[in-house]
Amino acid sequence: MKIVVTIKLVPNPNAEKRIDPQTKRLARTGVETVLNPYDEYALEAALQLKERAGGDTTVTIFSMAPDSLKEGLRRALAMGADDAVVLSDEALEGSDVSATAFAMAAALRTLKFDLLVVGGLTDDSSTGAVPGALAEHLGLPCITNARKVEIKGDAIEVERETDSGYQTVHGPLPALLTTALTFGEPRYASLKGIMGAKKKSIASISLQDLSLDRPVGTSGSKTELRSFAPPPVRGKGEVVEASDGLSGAQAIFDFLAQKRLV
Amino acid sequence: MKDVIVYAEHRRAETRKVTFELASEAGKIAAALGGKAHAVVLGPGSAQLAEQLKSYPLDTIFFNEDADIEAFLLDPIVDYLEGAARIAGPSLILIPNTLSGRDVAGRLMVRLDAGMVADVVEVKSDLGAVVCVSPKLGGALITQCALRAADYGVLTVRPNAFAVETGGTGARVEQIAKPASKSYPAAIDRDVEEGAGELALEEAPVVVAGGRGLGGPEPFETLLKPLARALGGAVGASRAAADAGWVPYNLQIGQTGKTVTPTLYIAVGISGAIQHKVGMRASGTIVAINKDAASPIGEFSDLLVVGDAFRIVPELTKLIETAKGNLS
Ligand SMILES: Cc1cc2nc3c(=O)[nH]c(=O)nc-3n(C[C@H](O)[C@H](O)[C@H](O)COP(=O)(O)OP(=O)(O)OC[C@H]3O[C@@H](n4cnc5c(N)ncnc54)[C@H](O)[C@@H]3O)c2cc1C
Ligand SMILES: Nc1ncnc2c1ncn2[C@@H]1O[C@H](COP(=O)(O)O)[C@@H](O)[C@H]1O
Repeated sequence: MKIVVTIKLVPNPNAEKRIDPQTKRLARTGVETVLNPYDEYALEAALQLKERAGGDTTVTIFSMAPDSLKEGLRRALAMGADDAVVLSDEALEGSDVSATAFAMAAALRTLKFDLLVVGGLTDDSSTGAVPGALAEHLGLPCITNARKVEIKGDAIEVERETDSGYQTVHGPLPALLTTALTFGEPRYASLKGIMGAKKKSIASISLQDLSLDRPVGTSGSKTELRSFAPPPVRGKGEVVEASDGLSGAQAIFDFLAQKRLV
Repeated sequence: MKDVIVYAEHRRAETRKVTFELASEAGKIAAALGGKAHAVVLGPGSAQLAEQLKSYPLDTIFFNEDADIEAFLLDPIVDYLEGAARIAGPSLILIPNTLSGRDVAGRLMVRLDAGMVADVVEVKSDLGAVVCVSPKLGGALITQCALRAADYGVLTVRPNAFAVETGGTGARVEQIAKPASKSYPAAIDRDVEEGAGELALEEAPVVVAGGRGLGGPEPFETLLKPLARALGGAVGASRAAADAGWVPYNLQIGQTGKTVTPTLYIAVGISGAIQHKVGMRASGTIVAINKDAASPIGEFSDLLVVGDAFRIVPELTKLIETAKGNLS
């Protein structure tokens, strides 16, 4: 079985983020990048499936990212993925979600797979629309938020979380899957994994390798960022030291009453 | 684009509050664009839900009781929504920013070759162009994003962003035809409701959230639930509490959990790590109860009460219940 996992490299969520006023895009230089948290979970799920399936099952990482960032994928290789493919091209810069999903789908089409595991949400753009969009472009069943997965021949059985409970679902392979965090904590890379990752392949492909029938990048985007600003500052508010339970409760009650919240 | 279409999400014939928020706002957006507002409600129970939606300023309410909606995962919903969009012509489709709403939106974007903006909290029209306000990067920036003159636009809209305002203008209820037969690949075998009757976290006007400071699962039941109930709200949690298994993951708020924007957020025994903050920073009023005066949560709370949650919360619940009793 061949599994492909999509991984986006995102600015470290703990680092301060800024938008370049000239390009109106997220400044990605000089900022440490990490694997998008949801994608680490997606990779963990893929690695668990690989271990369970055994045999000649492989896990390939796919990312669309500037070439300068691609070494960041070594961490995913160190966790246990077999190899990586990066789609990078200057013409992709400024792609919005529709252009991104279109280009990613074209690249993914060139990789043969039985299962495509995608993260649920990115930390930077947070549209959560890429999984559904990829499924449409690629004509795959779209099974999201899985917490248990069973592969049975060329069919997949999934227990998935919903907003208010869970469902069991089945469908044919190849399929697209996103995983819930309950699938399991992403593993740490072992020393052996880190050493081994140095020798694993990170292949680059560009738009020339794909024949796209629509533009991507800024000109191929259907949305335009007009302006951005930080939210109104939320200053430090009142601080009350409670000498006992009742005085603390009274302080909160009075505060809420004054704001007409009780 | 002129018309506005609301995807009226529901769970087993219980309409979500966000659907009413969208139905309230759609008319205003459509008026600004010079078009009409519609809603699409699907699956068993939808005929009755369509009647319910009549009290909102909509033009046409499309419904179909098609049982396939409950038998297959989202595929038929995407087909119906595409069908409704083709009937209306170039239009803006509003979808709740919920787990399943996001899946629907991504797929509809491709079907309609539409522009898409996610997690929208305000929609403006600027010389005929649709401009959306949405927080990005965990709320660190508020962006204004325009849909380029595309035929179709798809927005996911954050719950609690718009007020519910009824005011029906005599909407037409119309059965929408089942889309030409397609095979649906993902079949639902079992559908289990766990939080039946409970307020969805993202939709609650008040959220009482607990963290590691609560020390175990019991205080969520004995301390937080009664306080949330007294305030008409829902219980949430930090990741530390969810990771410890004290509460289910669907209560987790933050970067890898839900984003909530209630009118009132009460953080109990939560330190206020950045990953938690991004999921609740846009709440109306933030109150924290924490033993530690130097806890980061104090930096962005409107009120920090320094003290022991185990002593404060029960007294607070009593005060609120007494006040409510005096009023009724
Ligand atoms: C990639 C990634 C994603 C993450 N996503 C999320 C997320 O989505 N949501 C999230 O919440 N976190 C997330 N985290 C974790 C986050 O960094 C923090 O570890 C977590 O929020 C801490 O939870 P806490 O505040 O409950 O616990 P702690 O930080 O341990 O804080 C407990 C607080 O309780 C107080 N306390 C103790 N006893 C009492 C008492 N009796 N009365 C009153 N106060 C008391 C303490 O003073 C302390 O401030 C993520 C981390 C990473 C790396
Ligand atoms: N540039 C990218 N490269 C690889 N994967 C991506 C990229 N953009 C989005 N994805 C995948 O799509 C998921 C959802 O992204 P989004 O819809 O942008 O929130 C992410 O968790 C990734 O798995």
